[in-house]
Amino acid sequence: MVTIYYVMIVSVLYFVIMLFSFRNIKDIFRRAKYSTYNTLSGSELVPSVSLLVPAFNEELTIAENVRCLMTLNYPTYEVIVINDGSSDETLKVLIEEYGLTLLPNPQIRGKISTNKVRGIYYNPQYPQLYVIDKENGGKADSLNAGINLSRYPLISSIDADSLLEKDALIRMARMYMENPEETVAIGGDVRIANGCVIENGEVKDVSLPRRMWPMFQSIEYMKAFLGGRIGWSHLNGLIIVSGAFGLFRKDYVIAVGGYRGGYPGEDMNIIIKLHRYMLENKIKYRVAFCPEAVCWTQAPDSYNILSNQRKRWGRGNLKNMIENRDMVFNPKYKIMGLLTMPYNVIFEALNPYFRITGLLALLGYVLLDMTNWKVLVVFGLVNFLSGYMLSVGALILEEIAFRRYTKLSDQVKMLLFSALKFVGYHQLGVLWRVQGHIQYLQNNNSWGTMTRQSWKDKKEAA
Amino acid sequence: MFSNLEMAYVFIYVCLGLIAAGIILLFQMKIKHNAEQRDMERFTKKHHDYFMYVQSHLHDDVTLELPPGKLTSAERRVIQAKCMEWIEQFKGDAREKLLQLCRDAGFVEEDIRALSSLRKDRRIEAVYRLGGMRAEEAVPQLQELMNRTKYGPMTIIIARAIAKSALQSQQIREMLAKLLSYDKAIHHMAADILLETRLDSASLMRKLLDDPDPGLVKISLVAMWGQAIPAFVPTLDRLVGSEEKDVRAEAVKLYLSSNPSLKDDTIAQLMNDHEWEVRAAAAKALGSLHAAGSIPLLASALKDENWHVRNNSAESLAMLGEQGFETLCQAALTGEGPARETALYRIEQIMSKEGEHEQVEQMVAFNKRKLVYDRYFGLQTSKRIGTVAGVGGDYTA
Repeated sequence: MVTIYYVMIVSVLYFVIMLFSFRNIKDIFRRAKYSTYNTLSGSELVPSVSLLVPAFNEELTIAENVRCLMTLNYPTYEVIVINDGSSDETLKVLIEEYGLTLLPNPQIRGKISTNKVRGIYYNPQYPQLYVIDKENGGKADSLNAGINLSRYPLISSIDADSLLEKDALIRMARMYMENPEETVAIGGDVRIANGCVIENGEVKDVSLPRRMWPMFQSIEYMKAFLGGRIGWSHLNGLIIVSGAFGLFRKDYVIAVGGYRGGYPGEDMNIIIKLHRYMLENKIKYRVAFCPEAVCWTQAPDSYNILSNQRKRWGRGNLKNMIENRDMVFNPKYKIMGLLTMPYNVIFEALNPYFRITGLLALLGYVLLDMTNWKVLVVFGLVNFLSGYMLSVGALILEEIAFRRYTKLSDQVKMLLFSALKFVGYHQLGVLWRVQGHIQYLQNNNSWGTMTRQSWKDKKEAA
Repeated sequence: MFSNLEMAYVFIYVCLGLIAAGIILLFQMKIKHNAEQRDMERFTKKHHDYFMYVQSHLHDDVTLELPPGKLTSAERRVIQAKCMEWIEQFKGDAREKLLQLCRDAGFVEEDIRALSSLRKDRRIEAVYRLGGMRAEEAVPQLQELMNRTKYGPMTIIIARAIAKSALQSQQIREMLAKLLSYDKAIHHMAADILLETRLDSASLMRKLLDDPDPGLVKISLVAMWGQAIPAFVPTLDRLVGSEEKDVRAEAVKLYLSSNPSLKDDTIAQLMNDHEWEVRAAAAKALGSLHAAGSIPLLASALKDENWHVRNNSAESLAMLGEQGFETLCQAALTGEGPARETALYRIEQIMSKEGEHEQVEQMVAFNKRKLVYDRYFGLQTSKRIGTVAGVGGDYTA
């Protein structure tokens, strides 16, 4: 019965967090609908931003993604693409596309240590674009190299396989300008682009993915971002700002030593470090979430790529929890110490073990006395219904504030996949997380395979 | 065990109930939203001719009216939204005509009534529309609503509506003071809101610059976007000596952008200010002022701890003829650390423009610099100077 209670407690906690999301969703809708961006997007009053785009073997998508980033509705910004020792033609594609040449004496202002920078490329015709070519060192290392070159007080990390909506950055900046002294980081909403029509680096027509794996992820992201992060940010207990799209105060990122290299989960790690720094130094702060700032990303569409990604996430999460174990149940760290970190350890990192051991115990119990088969059914139902209820909640949040998927058939499809998720996909998620933990214990720190498709192919394949 | 299972049953029933209610709500919302969307499109199409009529008479001497016949509430919303879109686009008589149309049609009155609605949704929607319709008669109620609202995105929406609608500078002042009272350092956002005003911005800015509240002074300085109007220069001159560091930094930036004639001791004082923003603004201004006497100050500022100050100093030195360029070359050859890097970078930028000069004067100036360059670095312009810079380390940028 302990397992059933565990599942019920997790669900109730999820539910409470989701209630906070519901409490805020109307304000988010009003903010998105009634805030005007036309004056802001042409105004010198908006803070300047350096967009950092780490790229590793992105030859198929990089040109289109950079084109998308160069045409944002934002007054002053620079795009710094960091080629992290790609073994494909990523650098060549960029050099040819933008006519870049090697800068003989580039000004590198920062001194966060990174792997060797081989050169910085630039073309005065595209004054806001810089390309750093460096030896392979991982995503965190690339972001640090970008910080070293960046000129502006705000930095934004963006995955090279993602497309920003034109207003995404200005929406984040507006949120930042509402409280610039206390805001240290703002996360954006990440959505799955598989299935959407992409033209000239822009999502023209929003549709759900046609393939199974991206479809499951689409539901999963919606639940995590709308159901979870809005609520957590309301409590100022957000533990992660997605690496795919986030905005940060550069001075604070530098104050915490930049991104931690050598391990996945750098996006969660930087946020934990920021919380720790601000709380230890007793500086009033907030880590905010801006769901109306949307970034569209290519989701893995094959079993292998997806499993590698999830194992990496599992590894990164465990590493972050172990590294910051002193924060757990430590009142010095307020909401982070008393709620977010314990929640992440007990209900995220250790979740698979509770569920697996519980299930095995129940199976054993039922096998010993077959008259108790009901307990097993109840366990299954509690698991399924509590999860499904939260998915339905996330769909309602989406409908209240964003309404990106207009067709009724989309709604039916999302409800169907929200249910199907519990037959196989959910269990695989548990397995991948355990495998990630095993890799961590084995010191296996490989990135795994990750292949990209060009946005054009994607359109045909999705 | 029985009671435990019972608890689980209750949990299951609760979940089932919530799921069923959620799915019903979801479909009900989707159907309603889609129907609203269809209505909007249908009415936009239906009133296409009316919109053409309004557009073609915006500059004529006729009073605009609503289309004949009874209009549904959704139709009124479509017409109001179109009017608000045009109000943003047009100025002068055309805008006034549209504003009058909104009043005559009762849109303003309706939305003023909605400000007292119990529904927050309705109130905020009304605030937004009243701002869009520049409803000066709604300002007192908007102010009252702002005073009752806890700080957040809604405050900004209300503040913007007041800025758009107010016809008295005192109302704008009160709105800005209220924004500052939240103590959130939102001067840039407030400046952006201030720029929405219909009032004469020059006289409004002058009033704010003379205000005893330094926060309001800073908002007006920020709102000027680095473009000083000559009439403000005496006030700026006074504010350059302000004890409020933010006000002083903003005032110096503006003051120097007006190309004033500066005394040597003023230049020295500004270049030694403890605020980097002041030093950076002074360093930037010295180049365009062609104050050759300031070369030693700029050379020393190449070693400043702040990147902006170093960069602006190098930029200004590059603008100060051969003498300035030679100072850069000296710093590149004999200097060290960040000063050397900054100088090298600037020199490279200048030398890379060989062959890009079309005017004779530019060519002559470039050739003079090239001679200086060759003197310092030899006749190998196509090669890189020294090794790749990039060991510097400050994050002041």
